[in-house]
Amino acid sequence: MKNITDPFPCLGYWPSAGSFGFNTDILATNPINLSIVIGVLIFFGKGVLSDLLDNRKQRILRTIRNSEELREGAIEQLEKAQARLKKVETEADRFRVNGYSEIEREKLNLINSIYTTLEQLENYKNETIHFEQQRAINQVRQRVLQQALQGALGTLNSCLNNELHFRTIAANIGMFGAMKEKNN
Amino acid sequence: MNVLLCSINTFKRLYDISAVEVGQHFYWQMGDFQVHAQVLITSWVVIAILLGSTILVVRNPQTIPNFGQNFFEYVLEFIRDVSKTQIGEEYGPWVPFIGTLFLFIFVSNWSGALLPWKIIQLPHGELAAPTNDINTTVALALLTSVAYFYAGISKKGLAYFGKYIQPTPILLPINILEDFTKPLSLSFRLFGNILADELVVVVLVSLVPLVVPIPVMFLGLFTSGIQALIFATLAAAYIGESMEGHH
Repeated sequence: MKNITDPFPCLGYWPSAGSFGFNTDILATNPINLSIVIGVLIFFGKGVLSDLLDNRKQRILRTIRNSEELREGAIEQLEKAQARLKKVETEADRFRVNGYSEIEREKLNLINSIYTTLEQLENYKNETIHFEQQRAINQVRQRVLQQALQGALGTLNSCLNNELHFRTIAANIGMFGAMKEKNN
Repeated sequence: MNVLLCSINTFKRLYDISAVEVGQHFYWQMGDFQVHAQVLITSWVVIAILLGSTILVVRNPQTIPNFGQNFFEYVLEFIRDVSKTQIGEEYGPWVPFIGTLFLFIFVSNWSGALLPWKIIQLPHGELAAPTNDINTTVALALLTSVAYFYAGISKKGLAYFGKYIQPTPILLPINILEDFTKPLSLSFRLFGNILADELVVVVLVSLVPLVVPIPVMFLGLFTSGIQALIFATLAAAYIGESMEGHH
């Protein structure tokens, strides 16, 4: 037995003081109770915990599946939309080509018709000029004839005497008679 | 004299039997500081447990989580939930801090309640939960104080100190006092609860070694978890309080 004079145990002297080591006192170190506690904890906690985690996992799986489905739907829609876009584009191309050819044809037709109209107009013009020319020539001819006739009349009036008058009438009668005989 | 000696001897023998070493520490000298080595050792073990399990589980993450990853994600979700309810919309940057507090305190408390620390004998003192020592809890509480000051000042600048005269300047002393009572209450609550838990268990074990301490140990487990949650929740609440705009 140690002899202690100091009733209050001071720092530096403790019953359990010593160096590092293992305490083999099975009651003091309390492993039995601890193992029971841990066992009960595992026994009851495992069910609760696994339920909890299973639920969580199911939720995650459901979410992933949902998003997969959504993604597939979205991809499908995208493909459909792309197909439609392609179709519409080809149609548009066709329409554009058709439209161009139509326009070309229209243009040619228009040019042709205008050309013919132009030709006709040219012809009309030429004819009109010809007529005008003809008219002018006729007018000139008429005037010249009139003057000649007037000249002839003047000459006739000035130099016609009785004898010549009779002779002319006789010549004319003879000519008429000859014409009558010829006709008969 | 003889009677006195005899009584001292009896006391001594009783002491031997009970061998509850409250206030006894295994000191390490670091420079001018004396550190409580048993706290450091158990803290290292706790940190090793946390880091090791995390690294082990998160080393190979899957889209569809396996058991361990699922569990850790669940824990993370829980912590995010706590921070979100307490801090509000801008809880994101504070999740690591709150999570660290919660996980460290929780694993510390449960390690104190579940691991047979007493198998390992120290020259002085004994191994127990790190939160069993007031230095740990004070450190955690002071970290919380720093965190909520930082949160408030980084959010509102010097206008943060305007909350001291809200709603009336008469409350200024109380508001200032609050900054001291917050870490005090945080640290003492945690320290007291864990120390009391372990003491009750140790005393009961020394009196009746089998079966009787088991309900108390379960109670201790429950309290430990609650205390960790309370500490984390309160820290988040303080941070949220200092970040919220005054209305």
